[in-house]
Amino acid sequence: MPTYILQRLGMMLLTLWAIVTLTFFLMHAVPGGPFVSEKMLAPEIQAALNAKYGLDQPIWAQYITYLKGILTLDLGPSFKYPGVSVNKMIADGLPVTMRTGLLAVIAVVALGVPLGIIAALNRNKWPDTTVMLIATIGVAIPSYVIATVMLYVFALRLGWVPTFGLDNWRGYILPVFALSGFWVSFVARLTRSSLLETFEQDYMTTARAKGLRPGQVLFKHGLRNSLVPVVTVLGPVVANLITGSFVIEQIFALPGIGRQFVLSITNRDYTAIMGITIFYAAALMVMILIVDLLYAVLDPRIKLSEASA
Amino acid sequence: MSAPVLSVRDLKTSFFSQRGEVQAVRGVSFDVHPGEILGIVGESGSGKSITCMSILRLLKSTGRIMGGSANFDGQDLMALDQGDLRDIRGNKIGMIFQDPMTSLNPTLSVGEQVMETILRHRKATRAEARARAIELFELVRIPSAAERLKSYPHEFSGGMRQRVMIAIALACDPKLLIADEPTTALDVTIQRQILLLLKDLQKRLGMAVILITHDLGVIAEVTDRIVVMYGGLVMETGPVHDLFATPKHPYTQGLLASVPDLRDDTHRRLTPIPGSPPDMAHPPEGCPFTARCPHAMQQCQAALPPVFGEGQGARCWLHHPDAPKVAGVNEVAA
Repeated sequence: MPTYILQRLGMMLLTLWAIVTLTFFLMHAVPGGPFVSEKMLAPEIQAALNAKYGLDQPIWAQYITYLKGILTLDLGPSFKYPGVSVNKMIADGLPVTMRTGLLAVIAVVALGVPLGIIAALNRNKWPDTTVMLIATIGVAIPSYVIATVMLYVFALRLGWVPTFGLDNWRGYILPVFALSGFWVSFVARLTRSSLLETFEQDYMTTARAKGLRPGQVLFKHGLRNSLVPVVTVLGPVVANLITGSFVIEQIFALPGIGRQFVLSITNRDYTAIMGITIFYAAALMVMILIVDLLYAVLDPRIKLSEASA
Repeated sequence: MSAPVLSVRDLKTSFFSQRGEVQAVRGVSFDVHPGEILGIVGESGSGKSITCMSILRLLKSTGRIMGGSANFDGQDLMALDQGDLRDIRGNKIGMIFQDPMTSLNPTLSVGEQVMETILRHRKATRAEARARAIELFELVRIPSAAERLKSYPHEFSGGMRQRVMIAIALACDPKLLIADEPTTALDVTIQRQILLLLKDLQKRLGMAVILITHDLGVIAEVTDRIVVMYGGLVMETGPVHDLFATPKHPYTQGLLASVPDLRDDTHRRLTPIPGSPPDMAHPPEGCPFTARCPHAMQQCQAALPPVFGEGQGARCWLHHPDAPKVAGVNEVAA
């Protein structure tokens, strides 16, 4: 097991390096730059800025300098916000994004899985059709539409929640709802179909033939076997939610990193693009590793070996 | 003969699908006596497995018991509420299924799967349940029982998994063991081991066993009495020796004639029963075997025959007192 994790971590570093390299050169291949804007700067100032940030160097030299920086966990200074490091940009935006993201993850697990169970247990009866109807709507309607409509109804018309900001707990309700809506629906549907499939398994009949109570049959024998596909999607979902959503952060004016990321692209803020990309990739890979480790916990048939790395 | 452990009367089970109602079991009656092995034979679709799943009411969601009773221990299993029925399942009635590869939960250790049955029905600590599980593993002859408790089903062979299933079924000393084709999914050599184990355990523990199978060799070897099923009905019942020596129902005769005999060196071809079983979505009004029966009469198509005969009973019009004599069926050759 420790060997397996070490191997995976090694693979992750290699993957990160590939992502860094690819992003770096693609980014520089796009015309324009951080100091090119509609308001033309004097050529001397532009040259001075380029020199300051090392943009006058050949591209491979810039690449080497950047790699050296990453090795010391220094993502460099932002090109757009003077005096602000990319590390600080992430450190500032991350708590906001993480808090809403984690609440959304909790909503996905705490609502999606139980709703799926309720639907499966009441197959083709009204609780099932109700849950599935809502879940279908949740999957079909884009989150920004839900967010905008909810903002209008609950914030503007009814005034129950603030229209923006996270000053108190009420402020979290709409962003978390909008962020998690799709995934709650998705996980509810997945849990339902996975459970229904498990119910047909022979070992479920065995469990009933033993005289086990319905709760034991469902939770001990049914749920655990049904959760493998759910856990599979939860990995990327968690990575996705805690790294933020540009659209939702934009609509609710949340100062998170999702918003920073998109702004950094329009600003050609090279270091910010790189830094947030690296952060996102690392978060995704860590989540996938956790999912793979969870598989082994859920299903003893899955052996984590060096061969599967 | 002492009072039966289980008395099934007129049991009817149907499945409902878009095709409509499929009558899988259409009024089955039989008794199981203490300490005997009752064999239920029949080809696939004859309703033998459904009968047994119905006894413990373990049908999948599309199945429904339409009528009848199953008296066990002074209680009608069909009328019990779910809670009381659960107290009987795995406790007084143990069950073994056909495919040991899929009947064990892949995510729980085999020890846990045995122990949970004990803990459900007995006031026992985990340590006591563990001790009992080891005892059971030794009983079903799983080597190094104590270490094997921690193993998962995928670490066992098919035969060993079936032994685990038997250990689970025997965990609470049941009065009745229902074994639904317990050897069908196993290799031939393993089949025999499991069968002899079952027979041996039945003798040692003195329980009654219902053994469902389509293998007449299995029946001949281990059972005391047989129920022959066809088209959701019992066609013939009787002590195994009588039934093999003088089968009274043309279907039973056909079944016996279709078994290969290795001692027979005349190189004759096997004698299959021509035709196929009736479609149970539209069961025939008369005897379900009419279409394939070499002795079918007009009466057979018109009405379902009752069971004729005590001890060895056959559901066949040929055993009606007024029936014409047919050599080998209702007329014993001189």
